[in-house]
Amino acid sequence: MNIDWLSGPLLQQLNSGVILLNQQLQIVYINPYICRRADIQLESVQGKDLFSAFPDAPKAWLSRKLNSVLSLQSPAFSSWEQRQYLFKLPHLRPISSANQYMAQNCNMLPLTEPTSGEHFVCLLIEDATDAYVYQSQLQQSNLQLQQVNRLDGLTGVLNRNYWQQQLEVEVQRAGRYQHPLSLLFFDLDKFKRLNDDYGHQAGDIVLIEVAKLIGSLLRETDLFGRYGGEEFAIILPDTPLQGAIEVAKRICRRVAATPIEYQQQQLMTSVSVGVSQFSTATSADELIQQADLALYQAKRNGRNQVVTYYPELIDSLKKVKS
Amino acid sequence: MALTALICDDSLLARNQMKKSLPAAFDAEIVTATNGLEALAVLRRQEIGVVFLDLTMPELDGVGVLEAIKAEKMDVFVIVVSADIQPEMQKRVMDLGALAFIQKPVNTDKLSAVMRQYGLI
Amino acid sequence: MTDLSFTEEQRDCLQELINVAMGLASDKLARFLNTFVHLQVPAIGLVNAAEIPEQFRGQYQGLNSSMISLGFFGDGGLRGETILLYQLENAGKIAALLGYDDDATSEAEMLTDISSILTTTFLNGLAEQLDNSFSYAAPRVISSRDNDFISKLEQTAFHWQLALKVDIRYELTDYSFDCNMILLIPGEAVLKLKTILDNVLADF
Repeated sequence: MNIDWLSGPLLQQLNSGVILLNQQLQIVYINPYICRRADIQLESVQGKDLFSAFPDAPKAWLSRKLNSVLSLQSPAFSSWEQRQYLFKLPHLRPISSANQYMAQNCNMLPLTEPTSGEHFVCLLIEDATDAYVYQSQLQQSNLQLQQVNRLDGLTGVLNRNYWQQQLEVEVQRAGRYQHPLSLLFFDLDKFKRLNDDYGHQAGDIVLIEVAKLIGSLLRETDLFGRYGGEEFAIILPDTPLQGAIEVAKRICRRVAATPIEYQQQQLMTSVSVGVSQFSTATSADELIQQADLALYQAKRNGRNQVVTYYPELIDSLKKVKS
Repeated sequence: MALTALICDDSLLARNQMKKSLPAAFDAEIVTATNGLEALAVLRRQEIGVVFLDLTMPELDGVGVLEAIKAEKMDVFVIVVSADIQPEMQKRVMDLGALAFIQKPVNTDKLSAVMRQYGLI
Repeated sequence: MTDLSFTEEQRDCLQELINVAMGLASDKLARFLNTFVHLQVPAIGLVNAAEIPEQFRGQYQGLNSSMISLGFFGDGGLRGETILLYQLENAGKIAALLGYDDDATSEAEMLTDISSILTTTFLNGLAEQLDNSFSYAAPRVISSRDNDFISKLEQTAFHWQLALKVDIRYELTDYSFDCNMILLIPGEAVLKLKTILDNVLADF
């Protein structure tokens, strides 16, 4: 059976774009799929340079690519994953308002007219908007999941697990580049009593507000995490001990001076802070242990104050405990 | 007396392709060699009219064969047949006395054109 | 078990066809790039696909390397996947040659462009000699700037039976580098290839 009649209707109804160009990259043919979406008439663009008909197409890159197809007589390909679209065409997926134009896969094929032997290049354009939308959504969800996995649900600061991972990273970095690194451990004073007097909801509000307040006092690069219950920890990269003590004192002052509103009441709270630095500790665990000891001492000294770790602390605490 | 032609290529396929592509009008006895050393042995032993010489070969490559032919002043036509078509290489083999350079894959048309030009057919 | 091994004659035939295909590819690339390009294939190797990762472990381990895949389909059941392996620093040189230094093209796009030009030019030459023609799937970057590249190669090679290892040496006017092309071919296509090679051999 002769099927010469097939190509005409197929090109008319094909659910992909077809653009045929001659060796000068002038348009020889465009099928209705493209004409309708680009709102152009075949007659008005025939013989025109591709880039004057589609001025938004990436000229330098695309013409180089089309010329490679012509001179090497090898096909080329463009994927939406690397270049979302070649031609600004609308798509039929109104749900995805973020991407205005049809995401496209494009095959560029070398063709030869059998009688004249003249070379042409044919662009086959497929709508990849669905794949694009799904992937964008997937990426978004992955990003959100990643965030959720890193943050503390109540206060929005880093959770303990992720914070500890980051501490390992920072300790390694400080060791390798000989940078200073300090750690703050702090605890809300008499938090148990606050919970008993006002209820757990009040306790939660205080945790949230204190975390917010302290977060506003830190730099972008500081790593603020919730270590457990009412205990928080802050990694201060590139910060020597003196700077860390300044930050700790500022935190202490501001928390003590800032009332937290709960059901028309002004709740007052304070924090005790322990400070340690990387030069006396050599591992993440030691750094935590030293800051924790200093925090314990700050509590013993009467709360609402800053204590820096010093080696003798261990002995003095042993005496107290025994 | 009929001419003797030497086909020198390490690939069996290439030697066979060469034999098959020789124009019918070329009346010659065909001998083959699979590397440069074998080719030189043949050239020193018997009278050869024309060599179809590949370039990339083990033991001794085509350039080595051409150098030996030149040094020993052998009276033989050399047609280089190679996939390796870089212009520098073409110039080098022509300077060493090769008659012509044919790019692989060989076919009868290409061969006839060159051989007619040099009066081999 | 089906015998996928090649006879010496078949191996010789394939090596010669590949040499010629490379010659044709260099010619085309040289004309396209307006510079001297010389591609040379010192040797091909036919190996069990499962052994491929081990073969490349030493050569690329610890280097910034890049691995791009391109699927091909021919008539008569001939099909497979080519993998082009090279060090990223070399990609920069070819990119400059292809004129990629002057616009904001992503690295992934540059890598797929380079690889598809190199592989399709070569494969077209090979198809021509086998009296076949290939169509190609879109190239994809399997791995780039990635220490885990051997495991990616393992995953890719897992699907195939035979691997044809083609070491390629590219020489440009004032620069040369080595890269590796691997043709991964499934078992049934290996049998087809053997038949095709036998036909080529029988023709001469």
